[in-house]
Amino acid sequence: MSIAGESTNWEPKILAFLCNWCSYAGADLAGTSRIQYPPNVRVIRVPCSGRVNPLHIVSALRQGADGVLVSGCHPGDCHYLSGNLYARRRFALLQRYLTYLGIEPGRVQFSWVSASEGGRFAEVVTEVTEAVRALGPAKRLNVRAESIVAPMELS
Amino acid sequence: MLPDEIRATIGEWLATGEVDLFIGWEPGTVPLTATPAFVRRPDEVDRLIWDATCEHNLARFVRPYRDKTVGIMVKGCDARALIGLMQEGQLKRERLRIVGIGCDGVIDPRRVCERAGVESVEELDGAQLEGDVVVFGDLRIPVAEILFAGCETCNQRDPQVYDLRMGPEHDETSLADRYAHVEAMAALSEDERWERFTSEIAKCNLCYACRNACPFCYCNVCFAEQTNPQWLTPTAHDPDVSFFQIIRTFHLAGRCVACGACTRACPQGVDLRLMLDKLCADVAELYDYVAGEDPEAKPPLTTYRQDDYNDFVL
Repeated sequence: MSIAGESTNWEPKILAFLCNWCSYAGADLAGTSRIQYPPNVRVIRVPCSGRVNPLHIVSALRQGADGVLVSGCHPGDCHYLSGNLYARRRFALLQRYLTYLGIEPGRVQFSWVSASEGGRFAEVVTEVTEAVRALGPAKRLNVRAESIVAPMELS
Repeated sequence: MLPDEIRATIGEWLATGEVDLFIGWEPGTVPLTATPAFVRRPDEVDRLIWDATCEHNLARFVRPYRDKTVGIMVKGCDARALIGLMQEGQLKRERLRIVGIGCDGVIDPRRVCERAGVESVEELDGAQLEGDVVVFGDLRIPVAEILFAGCETCNQRDPQVYDLRMGPEHDETSLADRYAHVEAMAALSEDERWERFTSEIAKCNLCYACRNACPFCYCNVCFAEQTNPQWLTPTAHDPDVSFFQIIRTFHLAGRCVACGACTRACPQGVDLRLMLDKLCADVAELYDYVAGEDPEAKPPLTTYRQDDYNDFVL
């Protein structure tokens, strides 16, 4: 993997938080069904989309992810009944907030993918990857971006 | 301008043991800024004051004494913070004796600096508040012209909870331009918004004064100081500064009562209202919720509805 902006054959790096019960199983199904999807996602399995702290998402951008995908069970299908419903409120606010602050909206995306939706998982990953590819390497919030290596000058 | 009968009642509370501690304001050493006063004996009550320099949100200081009975003076916004802390189970109403004040807004010393043409608040040494006018040398500025920006658009000047009530009563004013600065930023292009955000945040040197002034920043270990995992380095480098500010403000989503204590506490003059008011506006729009109004209400991020806003999901 090259440092953002250095190489011409840049590939987006996307971090995906997948819930154990639905989306991770959906990704598994996509794999066992031999459905092709872009190899740009790095998956972190979490117990529930409700486990995903906005801190994790913004931290991923800070540490050099070009995009973040969070995927959980469809509303009403949560293994813990309501984890994804709490998560939905947080994510709605977070996405609007980051957009307001000037982070490109395509960088942080959310989806609901069930365990039986292997094809849907591949579609989501393709869609997110293409959106992030169109945006280019993430520079905002990224500690590795060239534009922000200079420390604040102390007077 | 603390009425004698209020002062007498506070003295009585302390004398009879009705309260163990009374938290108010007393004259401070920084020009045009009071300082929090912790009063434990009836004869100390004379120290207490109330005027437009009493900017601190005293709700911030109650929680360490929550096993005692605490008396406290609150403006409208501070009372909202108390309600928020009660909702979160941090304070109990029966352990509080609240002196509620109808507030016309507090002074922003930085605006006085602008008018006086000086660089820092320290240079305002000698400035005095005389009635409704700030006197500094030859300069006489009405308080109404140098209010904190958040106070100018405040529509909840009167406390919602109190045992004793003082100060004027207000009609509910319109919310119309409460979020004007947020809308102005939202109307910019994406690059301009990022530029606006980063230029504001560039002033921050990660001193955490905003966090320490905030009544809702009461985590025992703040994510900023966590070491395993370490989320950010404690140096004032971007993007760690932006990262800290984004996460700290987001922790206040649905909780921030827009008291402005953080913005006034900031030694660098970062306009945190620009960020926090966006969250307040979104919470009001998406979840029809205003923080600090109803002690029985559930904060929006601790509850859900089946038909919540879902359009943002792929």
